[in-house]
Amino acid sequence: MNSLLPLIRNECMKIIKKKRFYVILLILVVLVPMFTYAQMRSAERNREKFSSDWRLELQQQITDNENSLSSSRIPEEWKTYRRIFIQQMQYYLDHNVNPNEPSGVTFTREFLDNSISLFIPLMIMAVASDIVSGERTTGTIKMLLTRPVKRWKVLMSKLIALLMFVSLIIVSVFLVSYLISGLAFGYGGFNVPIFTGFQLSGDSVDMSAVHSVPQWEYMLMQCGLIWFVSIVVALLAFMVSVLFRSTAASIVVMMAALIAGTILTNMASAWTSAKYLFMVNLGLTNYLAGTPAPIEGMSLPFSIAVLGVWGIASIIISFAVFTKRDILN
Amino acid sequence: MNDFKWTWRGLSLLSIAATLLLITGFIYAAQDIMYPRGASYSADVPQPTAAPAEETGELKVAAVGDSLAKGTGDNTGEGFVRRAVAGLSAGGTRTELVGNLGINGLTTAGLRDKLKEEGVQYVLRQANIILVSIGGNDLFRGAQSMLNEAEGAAAAGQDAAEGSADSRIGTGASGRSDDSASGGAPAPGDGSTGNAALKDLTPEQLLADLPGASKRLEAILTAISEINPEARIYYIGLYNPFGDLREMLIPGNQAVTSWNAAAMDIINRNTRMTLVPTLDLFNGHLDKYLSSDHFHPNSDGYQRMADRIVQAVR
Repeated sequence: MNSLLPLIRNECMKIIKKKRFYVILLILVVLVPMFTYAQMRSAERNREKFSSDWRLELQQQITDNENSLSSSRIPEEWKTYRRIFIQQMQYYLDHNVNPNEPSGVTFTREFLDNSISLFIPLMIMAVASDIVSGERTTGTIKMLLTRPVKRWKVLMSKLIALLMFVSLIIVSVFLVSYLISGLAFGYGGFNVPIFTGFQLSGDSVDMSAVHSVPQWEYMLMQCGLIWFVSIVVALLAFMVSVLFRSTAASIVVMMAALIAGTILTNMASAWTSAKYLFMVNLGLTNYLAGTPAPIEGMSLPFSIAVLGVWGIASIIISFAVFTKRDILN
Repeated sequence: MNDFKWTWRGLSLLSIAATLLLITGFIYAAQDIMYPRGASYSADVPQPTAAPAEETGELKVAAVGDSLAKGTGDNTGEGFVRRAVAGLSAGGTRTELVGNLGINGLTTAGLRDKLKEEGVQYVLRQANIILVSIGGNDLFRGAQSMLNEAEGAAAAGQDAAEGSADSRIGTGASGRSDDSASGGAPAPGDGSTGNAALKDLTPEQLLADLPGASKRLEAILTAISEINPEARIYYIGLYNPFGDLREMLIPGNQAVTSWNAAAMDIINRNTRMTLVPTLDLFNGHLDKYLSSDHFHPNSDGYQRMADRIVQAVR
């Protein structure tokens, strides 16, 4: 352990020196204002249309969704999704709670919901894909391995440094989006009640377990789920980074897998064994919000188990490969 | 080097704190999702906000009902509701659409249940003009399904079986859509079966459910006037969409007239309700004012209905 700590420190410094983390922050600072502006415009438009009464807006939304149910051109899965949405919105309306109360906190909550399966994993990859393969591209890996330190310790220090940055990235995504969107929507809204615990069975929603949590608590849970997903993505990207010599190749592989995941979740409900792939299980926050899972038979324990297996497998492969392989060139 | 030391310390402490926080969140979330504890949430349910009535001179329009209220068949998607709102504001009155809650295929029974929903009641309370269009689906459901079969049989000829099966599947899947067949389609043979079925159609058949449906209509109108006693309610009378079929013209007209009479009977007993007739707008001009589905009005048809409503409101 004594020899591990300086190594971790060394790795953290490398990540900072390479300015990967600043790039991530920069991306956030550029993109979040764009999302905020888009959200602001749509909020403005709705205010004009519904004279700033969210109940009218919500009821119109419910009616529009009910109308689309009667169209025979809409696929059955979408109808299920809409039926569930209608029942949830009805619940909010019946309890006089605005689910979209405009505030910086609400914006952040929605932003986190939407970024869990692609945007945040992408940020993680920016650090993770480079962490081993980068050393091989530049050739510095030889310098590292000629030191009197065991190979697994070198890899372990990299892994721990990566996991530290995963937490930092999630917290900074939260902070940046809260601070920037707060400028437009205000910084309040931490105590707005959010309903969770909708239990889906078929296309009806069991409301018996629904309970309200203040928004900050909801977001704590959300960030926890995002953290778990991010750890698994980081482990996978780490493994790919060990396996591929060039950083570009490892980024492309991970990107392809993630994008395949978003495509599959949109169309693979018929192919049920796709649920064992890690990339369709990334949307853990859906279970919190009560949105139907993309493939039948998926639940939170299931997704956590699938992601956990993938994560552990990739740790094993990374270490097995890295400690055995000859480092040529 | 000293600089490094502090960066490292800050970084490690921050990341450890962040990780602990996130782990807590994760455990909490997993627990909350897997073992949810239901708790009743008691918020103040929206109180009856009495509509700011006509003193301000501003008209607030809400619409409830079936596909006609929704505007199905209108290419522009406006329907009579938006057209009437436009007509009223063009006439110099400040008019605002509070909400259009028209749902395709809604029947009197469906609307009666809808009116119990808090959100619907809220919208109605905000209005001082309420447009109601309902009943068409109660009255014409049987006729529409027979017509579908007739069309399938006539148009498809040899492939009659397939065509009819298609239309049955289509309507069956849509469930609550306007033309939802009530099942039990007779096997289509040669093209005349459907028309023969139509020939036997009598106003009595169409009106089999009239007593029940008009009772529900009464319940609906009473419920609306209880939800918002201040508002003026305009009930849009029915027209006969099947007037262009010889077999259907007379029984259809008779049925629609009986329905409208039943509605009028209810409406006459309440001073804040008005019936807006539409039968005369369409009779004899169906080719001009009905959309291609031969059931809903087209843009011009909706415009004529909207003009009627504007006249009634002013």
